[in-house]
Amino acid sequence: MLTYDILIVGSGGAGLYAALESRMEEDLQVGVLTKVYPTRSHTGAAQGGVNAALANLDPTDTWQDHWFDTVKGSDYLADQDAAEIMTREAPMVVREMEHWGCPFSRTDEGKIAQRPFGGASKPRACFSADKVGHVMLHTLYEQGIRHGVNFLNEWQVLSLMHDGQRCQGVTAINTQTGRVHTIQAKAVILATGGHGRIYWTRTSNALGNTGDGTAIAYRAGLPIKDMEFVQFHPTGLRRTGILVSEGARGEGGFLLNGLGERFMSRYAPEKMELGPRDLVSRSCETEVREGRAGPEGEVFLDLTHLGRERILERLPQIRELCIEFEGVDPIEEPIPIKPTAHYSMGGIHTDLNGQTSIEGIYAAGEAGCVSVHGANRLGGNSLLDILIFGRRAGKHALEYARNNSYTPVDTGQEEADTQMIASMMEGDSGASIADIRRAMGNLMSEKVGVYRNSKNLESAVSELADLQEQFKTVRIQDKTKAFNTELVAALELKNMLDLAEVVAVGALERKESRGAHTREDHPERDDENWLAHTMATLGDDGRPKLDFSPVTITEFEPKARTY
Amino acid sequence: MSEKITPDRKSILANIRIQRFTPSKHKSAYFDNFKVNVETGMTVLEALRLIKNTQDSSLTFRAFCRSKICGSCAVRVNGKPVLACSTQLMPILEDFKKDSVSIRPLKNMPVLRDLVVDIEPVIEKLSKMHPYLMENRERIPETLEQESIMSKQEHSRFDYITDCILCGSCYSACSAASADPNYAGPLTLGKAYRFSADVRDSFQGERMQAAVDQGLWSCAQCRKCINVCPKDTRPAVSIQRMRKMSIDDGIHDTAGSRRAKAYTGDVAKYGQVNKPMLPVIVNGPKGWAAIEAADNYLKKHGIEPTRQVCMLGGQSSTQKIYDKVKELEAKGDNKT
Repeated sequence: MLTYDILIVGSGGAGLYAALESRMEEDLQVGVLTKVYPTRSHTGAAQGGVNAALANLDPTDTWQDHWFDTVKGSDYLADQDAAEIMTREAPMVVREMEHWGCPFSRTDEGKIAQRPFGGASKPRACFSADKVGHVMLHTLYEQGIRHGVNFLNEWQVLSLMHDGQRCQGVTAINTQTGRVHTIQAKAVILATGGHGRIYWTRTSNALGNTGDGTAIAYRAGLPIKDMEFVQFHPTGLRRTGILVSEGARGEGGFLLNGLGERFMSRYAPEKMELGPRDLVSRSCETEVREGRAGPEGEVFLDLTHLGRERILERLPQIRELCIEFEGVDPIEEPIPIKPTAHYSMGGIHTDLNGQTSIEGIYAAGEAGCVSVHGANRLGGNSLLDILIFGRRAGKHALEYARNNSYTPVDTGQEEADTQMIASMMEGDSGASIADIRRAMGNLMSEKVGVYRNSKNLESAVSELADLQEQFKTVRIQDKTKAFNTELVAALELKNMLDLAEVVAVGALERKESRGAHTREDHPERDDENWLAHTMATLGDDGRPKLDFSPVTITEFEPKARTY
Repeated sequence: MSEKITPDRKSILANIRIQRFTPSKHKSAYFDNFKVNVETGMTVLEALRLIKNTQDSSLTFRAFCRSKICGSCAVRVNGKPVLACSTQLMPILEDFKKDSVSIRPLKNMPVLRDLVVDIEPVIEKLSKMHPYLMENRERIPETLEQESIMSKQEHSRFDYITDCILCGSCYSACSAASADPNYAGPLTLGKAYRFSADVRDSFQGERMQAAVDQGLWSCAQCRKCINVCPKDTRPAVSIQRMRKMSIDDGIHDTAGSRRAKAYTGDVAKYGQVNKPMLPVIVNGPKGWAAIEAADNYLKKHGIEPTRQVCMLGGQSSTQKIYDKVKELEAKGDNKT
């Protein structure tokens, strides 16, 4: 049996920061278990910035401004004590990253450069050209090597174990060998990222953002929070969902429907293409629903009128991206786009130290939900969230592991998981992973997507239950143990089906529109009844059971969210 | 006024040839052919996923971000290392005027299964290179109340390397890595230079020694790494700069340093490199074995070997160039 004082599941920014924080004094054994290699993690895909009120560009910026922007952006669903901690500690963690070598772009004075960002009242997004998540991820990995963090690369987590009060560890499969192991740990930090892949092809997320940590926590009886809130970005590429950044619209790009009409004039006659993300996403979706889409259900982002020179000068990276991923040159023709699931606000419920309801089990980053993003996340706050709460979880877990002994664990779970995998490998005929996955993605996009209503949500909940039944008959055709990626896909699908159900059930229950959650049948925000966090736990009947808990309001009374 | 948008989207039935190998099942690698309808916009990765989802679920490859930032999906397409996610199929089919394309795993690393190679040896080499910043306390404050100051110019010395996603394309293409399994490889040396060029770092001596020990001078400067890097990080350029840095640091007891000195010395003396004697100058007495082997080879083909360096005309012009460089160096003008 493998043992670690602290085992971190997930190697993105939150996991690596937690690992580094808990390994700094090099007195405990710290392991990071990841289904990829650490530098492949999805943190690397964040391009824009990490928010911190350093006031390097605007000397009047303060963390209190950042705090308010975050709360307002969340549509008042964020816990204000959590948002306060995040925004107040932001300058410190960004400087710590910098001291570890993170190559932020520089101002003329040689300080960390900052830029304006949507929803922020001051320019406070610290950046490194268009690769800030990438350089942060690499910096954390490099320092992890320096401090002797142990990496278990290409391992897939299977189950989370506890005795009802304290953490015992996890089970996981080593993909390279195909063997299931028990890993005993005093503390486990789940930092497995978001679950945007429940929308399957309609997401900007990496192929592996399947909510593994959130799902195993849910199956282990831990509450997961605010799962119905999923942020959509209006301009994902038609084929892959990869984002075309807001810069293209900022530079004067038009949004056209299939008929070539500049449709934003119907929804935001003044701001046109530069309206807020959620409004633009809803407008695109309305055009498609009302039959004005292109040949394959897409709308278009048109840059052709800007002319070759301006595109080459101002938007070269966006052009390259369209050519490489969509085969379309925006100088020649409009870019086909669709709104795409981008960020999961919900996740494993934690306190301000990242601790869950079980001692020694922590969650951080997109997998967790403190909550600092509430109903809608601000750009530049996701990278901040992973640093702040990765660090806090690491610090707290370190103290916990120093002061506690291992909780006994047997190999019962390992045997059960081995058996579960063996039964999926036995026999040939059964449902296909690809078919179930595609059906899940389509129904989530159509019925639990940008627009929601009770009729669609009810049918989504029942269709998801059908898919879960079908999943029970899935058979893996590939019988080789080593590097069986079909098996990994099945394990991921199991996780996604569980989480998709919680998202759909939460969305059905929440009878209001707030932030990213838009109910056609309940179009207004309803603070009287719904200023509350949704808590989902796995019921005895195998279905999610919902409870609601109050939002912490310390400073800012909820007001209408207008920009 | 507005006009209906009708995108021009084509489709070609193509033959995708994929190298297969499962060590527990096969003695050696073989090719499988898959027929795929390649549409406008389809990437190599999309084709691989389509095949896995609809034709053969055991096809094994790595992929994660799909957007050219994680480095998981590097493979060789028609022999060239590329990222599967950012490589469009249609232009390749059109360029080669063929309806077939081959996909194989990267070279210079053992194959674990199909298109998946073992990158662990490369990661180990990287780990030995001290690939991290060690705080230079003259530049990095002790307190988190302050930032360290680094000018744009200082930042730009290494910024281009921080685009590296460790995808292994360069390692696959590298001539030195295929000749010597102990050679660290372009990406690892690039990473070493990235830190050694950072004014905030204080670990340069140890890292330089690690780079020298792991083959800093083994790079043949064939520049294939530059051609294949999907992020344009120019590893061979970093290696050159790292070499200069090592000579400036006074590490002269290396084959490369001796070769560099022989080049400059010979050109000053003869107007060209004294090639026949280079193996001995660079590698010491054991260089004679190489010279003898060359002699025998020439004799076998009826050519009489010579130790003479043929003197070229225009020797005085060379001398003038040297004098000018010395004059500029004396002025402290390193840029010229």
